[in-house]
Amino acid sequence: MGSEFDFSGALITYISVIGSLLFAIITVSVAGSFVVGGKTGPLAVLSILRLAVEDWLSTSPRRIWAITKLTILEAIRRKALLVGVVFAVLFLFAGWFLAQPASDPEQQVKVYVAFVMRTIAFLIIPMVLLLSCWGIPEDIRVRSIHTVVTKPCRRQEIVIGRVLGFTAIGGLLLAIMGVVGYVWILRQLDAKGRERLVARVPVYGKIAFKDREGVDQKQGINTGDEWMFRSFIEGGTKSRMIWNFEGLDAFNLETADHLPMEAGFQVFRSYKGNMDRGITCQILVVNPDTEKRAVAPLVTSRDQAGKIEQTDNAFEVKEFRENLLQLARRVVDDEGNELDLFKDFVSKGRLRVEVLCLPTQQYIGAAGPDLFVRLPDKPFVVSYAKGLLGIGLLTLMIVVIGVCASTFVKGPVATMTTFFIVLVGATGRAFLDTIVDAKWVGGGAFESIYRIFAHLNPQTELPSTLPFKVMQLVDGAGVGFLRSVRYLFPDFKFFDLTPYVAYGFDVPWTNPVPPNSGALLPSLIITAGYLLPWIVLGYFSLRLRELEAK
Amino acid sequence: MSKLTGLQRKLVYLVGILVLFIPIIVLGRPDEGRTATGGDQGGTLARMRREYDLKESSLGKVDPASASMNLVLLGMRGIAANILWQQAIDLQKTKNWAELRAVTESITQLQPHFLKVWDMQAWNLAYNVSAEWDLVRDRYFWVKEGLKFYQQGVLQNQKYGEMQWRTGNTYSQKIGRADEWKQFRQYFVKDPNTEAFPSGLDPEINPEGKDNYQVAEKWFRDANRTIDDTGIEQHVMGRPLFRSYPVRAMIEFAQAKQREGVFGDITKQAWETAAIEWSQKYGKEEFDSPGGMVHLEVTEKDAKEMQDRGEDDKLNWVYRYQDMCNYRYWRLRCFVEREQNTVDARRDLYNGEVAAAKGDFVEARKLLESGMEKYDTMIRKYPELLEQMETVEDAMVAMIAWRSVLQIESAPVPDDYPLKSVWEQNAGSVGVFNTEYIRRKGLYNK
Repeated sequence: MGSEFDFSGALITYISVIGSLLFAIITVSVAGSFVVGGKTGPLAVLSILRLAVEDWLSTSPRRIWAITKLTILEAIRRKALLVGVVFAVLFLFAGWFLAQPASDPEQQVKVYVAFVMRTIAFLIIPMVLLLSCWGIPEDIRVRSIHTVVTKPCRRQEIVIGRVLGFTAIGGLLLAIMGVVGYVWILRQLDAKGRERLVARVPVYGKIAFKDREGVDQKQGINTGDEWMFRSFIEGGTKSRMIWNFEGLDAFNLETADHLPMEAGFQVFRSYKGNMDRGITCQILVVNPDTEKRAVAPLVTSRDQAGKIEQTDNAFEVKEFRENLLQLARRVVDDEGNELDLFKDFVSKGRLRVEVLCLPTQQYIGAAGPDLFVRLPDKPFVVSYAKGLLGIGLLTLMIVVIGVCASTFVKGPVATMTTFFIVLVGATGRAFLDTIVDAKWVGGGAFESIYRIFAHLNPQTELPSTLPFKVMQLVDGAGVGFLRSVRYLFPDFKFFDLTPYVAYGFDVPWTNPVPPNSGALLPSLIITAGYLLPWIVLGYFSLRLRELEAK
Repeated sequence: MSKLTGLQRKLVYLVGILVLFIPIIVLGRPDEGRTATGGDQGGTLARMRREYDLKESSLGKVDPASASMNLVLLGMRGIAANILWQQAIDLQKTKNWAELRAVTESITQLQPHFLKVWDMQAWNLAYNVSAEWDLVRDRYFWVKEGLKFYQQGVLQNQKYGEMQWRTGNTYSQKIGRADEWKQFRQYFVKDPNTEAFPSGLDPEINPEGKDNYQVAEKWFRDANRTIDDTGIEQHVMGRPLFRSYPVRAMIEFAQAKQREGVFGDITKQAWETAAIEWSQKYGKEEFDSPGGMVHLEVTEKDAKEMQDRGEDDKLNWVYRYQDMCNYRYWRLRCFVEREQNTVDARRDLYNGEVAAAKGDFVEARKLLESGMEKYDTMIRKYPELLEQMETVEDAMVAMIAWRSVLQIESAPVPDDYPLKSVWEQNAGSVGVFNTEYIRRKGLYNK
């Protein structure tokens, strides 16, 4: 799917960025020290590095734990837990502010779950940001840091202890708020709403299209929707939406009498037709190896013992709702042969599903995640906990950045720095990537200013005279600077797991499901990736700075 | 450095605080609402709020959530509202309907007395969001959401008749005139969500189980009454037109019943009442015009008398206002529709078109010819009705249905037949009327 997390690519980028950063720092330090102190300079640098290695090798978990404990006590003394009161007040009155589309439990669940998770994030993040940015500067200001650094306590232990302490406070609040939020959701919802609290476990396939002539296409038709996420196929033609599923053999389908699927198709009518009925679709199952194909019968009713009573060869699309489809195991092909869906169509765990729209001149549209095999649901609490873990990881990232920023600048500046990094990471990272990867049409800052005043559209070629070349050179330098600092800003889009929970899906581990951008493993990897460099940076900063400074 | 001691400094602060209290008390002292007994009328701000009717309670019902939200945001309300508007647009683009509804709610909490916000968001839900859904019952849900939103807006802005008018207009136009009007009008008295509304009535939308036009009429009347009571004029349309809406809703009610094939006493009574209300109440209402105060019910005799009195300018304004509201046509229409011949003509034409659509061609021909005969009588008696396309359309559609029956029966079109002159005058537009005929045929077949 479109926004897959490229694990190997990420690792290569990570190693190259960290490697070149280390190389640059060591080269500049050695060269600088040589200029300042002559031959003894580089030796001093080497001795600092040697001391650093010694420091890190003698890291003591006991001392880290002592600092962690102190940090927790200090945060409690600073009334950090009062944020819980704000939380309680918000939830007391939240019902007033939230819409209650009374008769639609599906919509209710989305609103309440999204509200709880966003509120938790919005309360915890500013709190840990402030705590982490003001802790060390405050120690330095009141000189209490001297009582610590004069003890046999290494600088990295101070940084790690601080990070762990603030994270623990954030985690504690997260857990309390999580439990309260969960109870609140349950209390707000009626019985029907509570039934909707599930974590659906989807198996997605790769989507492809065939146009009206039956020719393979990557995309279907755009029916004029501004949002290009879904594309459409025309009814009554050879147009098809095709999903290729893999890995179905990993699931125990042998005992089942049907394959459970769910569809979230959209409809575009070019004429009104029968307004009382939805647009009808048909599903074909195809064996990807033998190309054997047949119309999939869909279970429409079961008897009291749960045995399949009736099937239908088509279904009506219900837009923006769950369209649960049970593809009956017993399939009859065009020649009247009775076949088995799992044995005759699933080949090495692979199955191709083709969807066609039946009425002519009507359209149905979908994107990749709009048709999936629905495995047995997990309890809602599983996806909810994963969603909270996403907020927890975000908290940890902010604490690390905040603590490290506070080792070299004062509280207010550290706060601003961290806030800026979080802001760019959460909202501007995609924009930053567009500029740095030269996908931006219309040039850099100066070129854009010129184009605005000269009324030139971004596609118009600029003259290749000297002033313009200089302008583009300056812009290029700006982009170069952005390129060098791009990886300073973590890409927080992977941490947003709320939509999955709110929409009743299990949070995916590996790859984000469009149009959402979050996934658990990428967020864990990003957190782990940023953790060490930031802590090392904090260590050196604390080691080399003048702690007497006010 | 300061030469003051700590205590002196604190005293200076205290004096400073007390001094600052004076303007705060003078400006911001709250109104205790005891004016009748000569109590405290509050500070300057409280007095000005009262003078310009800007008190929360004087604008409409005070919503504690909205008021507290605005207090908590201090001066950031504008920024918060902007962010929420942007969010709402994005949510609509990405079809996140539930969250869109919640965000629009929050926007109105922030801007509870900004009429345009209510209007735009309620319209958006009732018209734009509803149209995004494919199933009619889902569409109806969102029309109701829009209506509920309008009603909240009315509660928070009770002094503005405009909001009530808009609510009434959605009841009348969206439910009664949308493409899905047939289903919407049925759902209005029998909600499709039987689980949530076992009685079939959504208490927030139609507690008394009335027709949508009857509910709309009540809202239009309330709008007129609010404007009379508060003196705050509406800015939707010209006053003579605005005031006609309650009666127009009655007329629409009668027309809707005819569209649905109901020709009994209910419909006749509705036209009867509309005729009286239109000519006796609405027609006698005085409107301000550059020619002086005028009313629209002016007979030929009245007009002659006005001319004799030299009130030509005033009479001119009467005619202009009458044209603006199509007064003469609706007056005549209300009177004509009460007549038994008109009722019979409409019944026969409707039943004939239904029979033709269902394939009962013998019955259809008989009914259509009878209806055309009566319709022709009506037009001969009131030829000015043909000035309105509605009258022509009903005649043309009936004749298209009749001709298609003749064609199926391989019978020639006779040389002379009722409404022939209407057919000949509009022969060039048969294509347009044919579209309407097909549309109606589709409805009859459901």
